[in-house]
Amino acid sequence: MDHIILEELRVLDLTRVAAGPYATRIMADFGAEVIKLQTEKIATGAESNESAYFRAWNRNKRSITLDLSYPEAKDLFLELTRISDVVVENFSPRVMQNWGLNYNNLKKVRPDLIMISMSAMGQTGPWKNFAAFGPTLQSLGGLSYLTSFSKDTPLGLGYAYADMIAGLYGVVAILAALEYRQQTGCGQYIDLSEYEAVCTTIGPTLLDAFINPDNILPQGNSATHIPAAPYGCYKCSGDERWCAVAVFSEDEWQSLCNVLGNPSRAGEERFSSLSNRKKNKVELDKWLADWMANRSAEEAVKLLQGAGIPAGIIQNAGDLAGDPHLHARNFFKELKGPDGNGTQTDTSPIKFTSAKNGPWKAAPSLGRDNDYVYGKLLGLTEAEIKSYIERGIIA
Amino acid sequence: MNSEAREQGLLDGIRILDLADEKASFCTKLLADLGARVVKIEKPGGDESRRMGPFWENASHLEKSLSFFYNNTNKLGITLDLDRNRGREIFLELVKQNDIIVETFQPGYLGSLKLDFNFLKAVNRRLILVSVTGFGQTGPRKAYKSCDLVASAYGGQMYVTGSPTSPPLKAYGEQSYYLASLFAAIGILLAIRKRSQTGIGEHVDISLQEAVTATLEHVMIRFFSEAIIAGRQGSLHWNHAFKIFACKDGFIHLTLFQNWETLVEWLDSEGMAEDLKDKKWNNEEYRRQHIEHVIEVVECWTKTHRVDELFELGQLMHFPWAPVLSPKDILNSAQLKARKFFVPLYHRENDTELSYAQLPFRFSSRFISRKKRAPLPGQDNEKIYKGELGFSNREIQQLLHLNVI
Repeated sequence: MDHIILEELRVLDLTRVAAGPYATRIMADFGAEVIKLQTEKIATGAESNESAYFRAWNRNKRSITLDLSYPEAKDLFLELTRISDVVVENFSPRVMQNWGLNYNNLKKVRPDLIMISMSAMGQTGPWKNFAAFGPTLQSLGGLSYLTSFSKDTPLGLGYAYADMIAGLYGVVAILAALEYRQQTGCGQYIDLSEYEAVCTTIGPTLLDAFINPDNILPQGNSATHIPAAPYGCYKCSGDERWCAVAVFSEDEWQSLCNVLGNPSRAGEERFSSLSNRKKNKVELDKWLADWMANRSAEEAVKLLQGAGIPAGIIQNAGDLAGDPHLHARNFFKELKGPDGNGTQTDTSPIKFTSAKNGPWKAAPSLGRDNDYVYGKLLGLTEAEIKSYIERGIIA
Repeated sequence: MNSEAREQGLLDGIRILDLADEKASFCTKLLADLGARVVKIEKPGGDESRRMGPFWENASHLEKSLSFFYNNTNKLGITLDLDRNRGREIFLELVKQNDIIVETFQPGYLGSLKLDFNFLKAVNRRLILVSVTGFGQTGPRKAYKSCDLVASAYGGQMYVTGSPTSPPLKAYGEQSYYLASLFAAIGILLAIRKRSQTGIGEHVDISLQEAVTATLEHVMIRFFSEAIIAGRQGSLHWNHAFKIFACKDGFIHLTLFQNWETLVEWLDSEGMAEDLKDKKWNNEEYRRQHIEHVIEVVECWTKTHRVDELFELGQLMHFPWAPVLSPKDILNSAQLKARKFFVPLYHRENDTELSYAQLPFRFSSRFISRKKRAPLPGQDNEKIYKGELGFSNREIQQLLHLNVI
């Protein structure tokens, strides 16, 4: 029988753009009833219900409109809190405070409430009110400096990775707090810092920096801290086709020499151990580069993986969308929007072999669920809802 | 359960066996830091993941891997050889008392030892098994070998990272392992919730490739909505909204769209706005299309300033700017210091404390801290084998002698 894990959970979602919506999307994918609060005013750009970006991060959610700048809206919000398990917000720390909707006030109406604040810097500290976005937090957290070929040209990742990491940590914290609530009946306030979330992803390097502060440099694609050689990214035939290879064990090294057509090379003294291969990596890189140059990435990877060597095609978005392996695992699926048009979306990488996550729904239009939430859940009459709409509170 | 029994953290009472190498040891570190009891099972002599650098004092020594240190805090450590019959028997005893397992073996390996999910769930129907592998348990590439580089390649991360003139660039460190570990930790917490409702465990299948592809932010969205194949554009964000600029003494990450008029006034007050005062530049779309010129003018200006000056003044004016920090700078960050983000852990063998990054959240519930460094190989053999499985000293000696533990 289908079992939807989070179906009895209700989440009030005040988050915008990426980190917060990603966290609540994961909750929604597993069946939680996520109610996203919007206003017509802020539903523009990345927060426009019509944009592809919004639709991706807000699938499976409900949408209501509520303008919290009105004092009456605050009462409605408290009513919603009373019937919710989790409140998620990613404003800068002043915002909920100014609305009078901080955790201490919310837990008065819902004592076992779990609330998470997902701000850039955290709720405390000298920078708590600083503004930041995913890419700038990647720079603060060391990823831009380290992901580069040289310290004189910091590059960083080609997307807002920090928002994804913070979203994942947000879900871990919420679910851990729910487990604690299950055992003790206690609610929880969680103060998450996206800056710190980025820092955790370079944890070993921060230990290294504690010991050797002035010795930490970007590594490009080299295997400085990895017991592998040869190791790297090599150009294949065709435009922008590349192949990555990593040779760890002696067995893999022998296999590589076989695949590259020179089995006896494996026994040569200067390549006879990992440290010797690392010492002579320039020569090995050239050997691999020459072999790759006239081959397609597909052929190279097939030969290498066929011989048990870790290797991979550098896939672009088009490759990923057509990747037969991802399709065999049903990684992508089509979601039909309100207009009847389907959009492809990636599913969850958390694959349960028995539990189901239920039928998926496309992202909601603005305020689509006002009647359900205010009427059915809060029990307001049609006339009451109409009056809130006329006064611009539900708007 | 009363609150005293939960003094270790939110997940106190949860018991996990960790068979994972570097691909997912961060998953159980995360849960151990949150209060779960995690027993790391290594091969006699120590796990392969102890060979991952960087190393303390640069010695490639099994007890000096900083990567292992970081990814295994707060765990207990035992040794056990699953390739031996006696080792497997002991493992099944452990599975009766610890009903969550995280593993990273090639698909099929546990099956060959008769320790796959179907077999284990017969021993303990509440068992939650989480398998983290390069490509997952199913599909045409399931037997392919992987590592962070291969996952970053196949997952789509490398193609969009680097400059237009450089080869694709792997994200620094072991990002796919942290992503997969975070997804695996969420999977475990979901499976625990399901189990409390149904009484039945679960097999969770995590693929490194999918962990990367699922977190590409704009990349798949733009492909599916506009058929755009995102390429590499250095530090310039895909929508041109952010870029890294050189200063006198380092680099700063700027936004080029927020508070545009204020930015132009600022440049102008120093006589460096050039033609950006022209009204046409107030149009965001126009700036996006002529971004090269904007970058040129702004970079002339940033080069006349220090990083701190632009960061502090910028933030005062609500520009969401940030310095490009090195690991050394991060250790000295006033914000992280104020939040006590780094916590010292004692390492007896060097009689030194190392400063560890904590998890990125604080909870309103306070717990008694029990921060512990990563275990040495077999450090808790006696505690587990004697204390929990009830083996005698003689039995333990024998198992050691036979290299089972």
